[in-house]
Amino acid sequence: MKLSKLFKSTALALTMAVPFAMVTTTAHADGERYVLVSHAPDSDSWWNTVKNGIKLAGKQMDVKVEYRNPPTGDLADMARIIEQATASKPDGIITTLADFDVLSGPIRSAVDQGINVIIMNSGTPEQTREVGALMFVGQPEYDAGFAAGQRAKGDGVKSFVCVNHVISNTVVAERCRGFADALGIDLGKSMLDSGEDPGEIKNRVLAYLAANPKTDAILTLGPTSADPTIAALKENGMAGDIYFGTFDLGTEIVKAIKEDIIKWGIDQQPFLQAYLPVVILTNYDRYGVLPGNNINSGPGFVTKEALGLVEKYAGEFR
Amino acid sequence: METPIIEMKNIQKHFGSVIALSGVSLSVYPGECHCLLGDNGAGKSTFIKTMSGVHQATSGEIFFEGKPMSFSRPREAITAGIATVYQDLAMIPLMSVTRNFFMGNEPTKKVAGISFFDHKKAADITMAEMKEMGINLRSPDQAVGTLSGGERQTVAIARAVHFGAKVLILDEPTSALGVRQTANVLATIEKVRKQGIGVVFITHNVNHAMVVGDRFTVLNRGKTLGTAKRGEIEADELQNLMAGGQELAKLEIR
Amino acid sequence: MSQTQTAATPDERVKTRSSFHQLLIRPELGGICGVIIVFAFFMLTAMDSGMFSLSGVMNWSVVSSQFIIIAVGACLLMIAGEFDLSVGSMIGFAGMSIALLSVTFGLPVWSAIILTFILCMLIGGLNGWLVIKTGLPSFIVTLALLFILRGLTIFGAITATNKTIVGGVRDVAQGDWLAPIFGGKVFTGAFQWMADQGWIDTFSRGVKKGQPIVEGIPMLMVWALGLVIFGHYLLTKTKFGNWIFAAGGDAQAARYVGVPVNRVKIAMFMFTAFCACVFATAQVMEFGSAGADRGVLKEFEAIISVVIGGALLTGGYGSVIGAALGAIIFGVVQQGLFFAGVESSLFRVFLGVILLLAVILNTYIRRKITGEK
Repeated sequence: MKLSKLFKSTALALTMAVPFAMVTTTAHADGERYVLVSHAPDSDSWWNTVKNGIKLAGKQMDVKVEYRNPPTGDLADMARIIEQATASKPDGIITTLADFDVLSGPIRSAVDQGINVIIMNSGTPEQTREVGALMFVGQPEYDAGFAAGQRAKGDGVKSFVCVNHVISNTVVAERCRGFADALGIDLGKSMLDSGEDPGEIKNRVLAYLAANPKTDAILTLGPTSADPTIAALKENGMAGDIYFGTFDLGTEIVKAIKEDIIKWGIDQQPFLQAYLPVVILTNYDRYGVLPGNNINSGPGFVTKEALGLVEKYAGEFR
Repeated sequence: METPIIEMKNIQKHFGSVIALSGVSLSVYPGECHCLLGDNGAGKSTFIKTMSGVHQATSGEIFFEGKPMSFSRPREAITAGIATVYQDLAMIPLMSVTRNFFMGNEPTKKVAGISFFDHKKAADITMAEMKEMGINLRSPDQAVGTLSGGERQTVAIARAVHFGAKVLILDEPTSALGVRQTANVLATIEKVRKQGIGVVFITHNVNHAMVVGDRFTVLNRGKTLGTAKRGEIEADELQNLMAGGQELAKLEIR
Repeated sequence: MSQTQTAATPDERVKTRSSFHQLLIRPELGGICGVIIVFAFFMLTAMDSGMFSLSGVMNWSVVSSQFIIIAVGACLLMIAGEFDLSVGSMIGFAGMSIALLSVTFGLPVWSAIILTFILCMLIGGLNGWLVIKTGLPSFIVTLALLFILRGLTIFGAITATNKTIVGGVRDVAQGDWLAPIFGGKVFTGAFQWMADQGWIDTFSRGVKKGQPIVEGIPMLMVWALGLVIFGHYLLTKTKFGNWIFAAGGDAQAARYVGVPVNRVKIAMFMFTAFCACVFATAQVMEFGSAGADRGVLKEFEAIISVVIGGALLTGGYGSVIGAALGAIIFGVVQQGLFFAGVESSLFRVFLGVILLLAVILNTYIRRKITGEK
């Protein structure tokens, strides 16, 4: 029978190929081992900078750092990944705290098993203290949003739309709340749930602007929503005309800043969020030294005037 | 003269403006094999579906064991003892012979108040019934898919008989079969008939009909062209009737 | 024409098969082989990584149990000849329903759970009713429900609370009698005792110092085991199980012999919804919050588990034990690749390879069983 032959040869090929594949991946570095757990789905390209950050830090400190994430961005799956990271007994875990209810249990359990934990990117200093993590490295989101809002208010903005591609992430939504509070307006109708697909985001932005032509400003929450929004503005001719600010940087965003489509980008400097915890954990493990406070990696406003290095490393380290 | 098990009198069936049956009569006696012949589109399917409760007749009468009766759904007909074996819908190939045999009529036993499918009883009965019909199963768990087309028909017939069929309607059981398998199915019909069950054998193959038939009814364009007894009619005549019914007059003498 | 062939002579063309061969051709074979291969693989590559420590075992067991819970429902439904693509959305919907009813609207948790179960099973029934009434493929009907339920979940959460994650369930579930059935742990005493004996690891610091890292068997695993046993018995040992096979194998043939096909299918849609609801309730009770995006793509994970477990996509054939084995393979591979230190993006590659191998093997086995060419 043809099928049985096919089956046998496939099985044979697989059993032979697998050990070879494994040799290359299981070779551990000699130094300490850390795991970074993020909440981002596979599709979120912004996290490349984080991956590059831990890669560089790992090389420089001579430690092994692994990156883990829930493939679909399901936070319940992320909780399992933290539990699993704990079971593998690493020297330390660096994780985001995207949802306190879901993640605090597994994180606290890791801490109680003697694993050092640093919270990065999402979370608040209070929550960090509560789960017993060493410190928080990231951008206080509400404050960053508020700062951006004040800046926009100074530029004469009275209404805005927040293009939110991660509607389920409450921490990220804080940015919009801060922005709205600084403008002194109600967030309710200004929040646009865009989904994660670039085509959908573009069309929803177009539809929103068509329905609300008096919108003064657009706030996007990252490259995932910013890139399609840029395309949308170019299409309806509002590029350069409407006040456009964004969180986070990326190749397209930098280009748009240069072209005067985007006024400013708020860089929370994810590179630092990944790089610093690795360095801090390694030094803590080796010499017992630890900074005394949380580290704010952002907000840093990036405008057209200060683009040099940003442009060079956008999407890689910036 | 004994009463027929089932007697259909002047059955008419209209689908909207289409007249599928215009006054068909047919009766089946115990232990008789009544062949219903007709070309494709003659109304054979509609007629047997009316008999088995799938369709309701627009007009006409049905007598079951001498009493007027009307079936509003297949289940009622089955309960009364009218079983139908459809040509390609007799069996489910992926399921075992036993599971097929008892499909819809599963024997159960109570264990701790919960009723379970009695596999042992089902397997034993299936093996015995199959042996009776001349089919040697490897095991009661053998999938129906491994059986030949003729064997599948035989299993379906045996199933109907086992569950108390008084009239067995066979819808083109031989049309897709080879010579040897056809012979097996015809032998099975013979066996069933001898048990006193009335058989309605639908076919468009006159030769198959002549082997087992006691009486022959030909349908053409929704009309019956009369019923003939075995020995009163030749194969060629039946063939002609199915083709067009030019010799209607000759048959009506009966 | 020979009418004398009545003696039951064995057909010389049918080879007698050894009982070993009989053992081989079972729907679960693919699953059993897969489990052996997967475990052998990880024993070799990840033995000392913590994967086979108690907490490691617990980790992949819990993940596998989650898959099992939804796979049992998907398996029975697939055998009955239908799909449910709305399982993932149903998980999000059910979780949100419990959280909103209990936290936002202040109902007791037990009544929130019961109401949610009723609601979910009604929606499951609606799925089935629509499939039966419209005669459309369940693929399309449940795809519609996938979007409707997900949208309703987000809409409900935003309208009621302005948030897409509703927390605080753990607080309101304190002292509830029904919540521990889903979110609790059993045999905690035994684990504490083992910890006291020094047999299993304990927390080294914090408020739980001295308590075992693995506190007990989560109810999630008990549910998974219970559903597998229930599903297996229902399918193979009852009258209704035979109807499930019949409805999926050939609905028309089954109707002709009096099997209530519509009722069977609708019941299976409701059972699938029930399983999704168990999954969601356990998740909400464990993590204390419901998110509008919970359960995304879970329907495919369930269907993949079922297919790895040997069920036929077209219905009429499969096994609950096989589906459970498929779920175990899925869970162990997903979690195990991490322990083995494999880049996480390769998980999908492995999953695809396993799925393909399983389908090829299962097709081969099925042809052996049914004698198809």
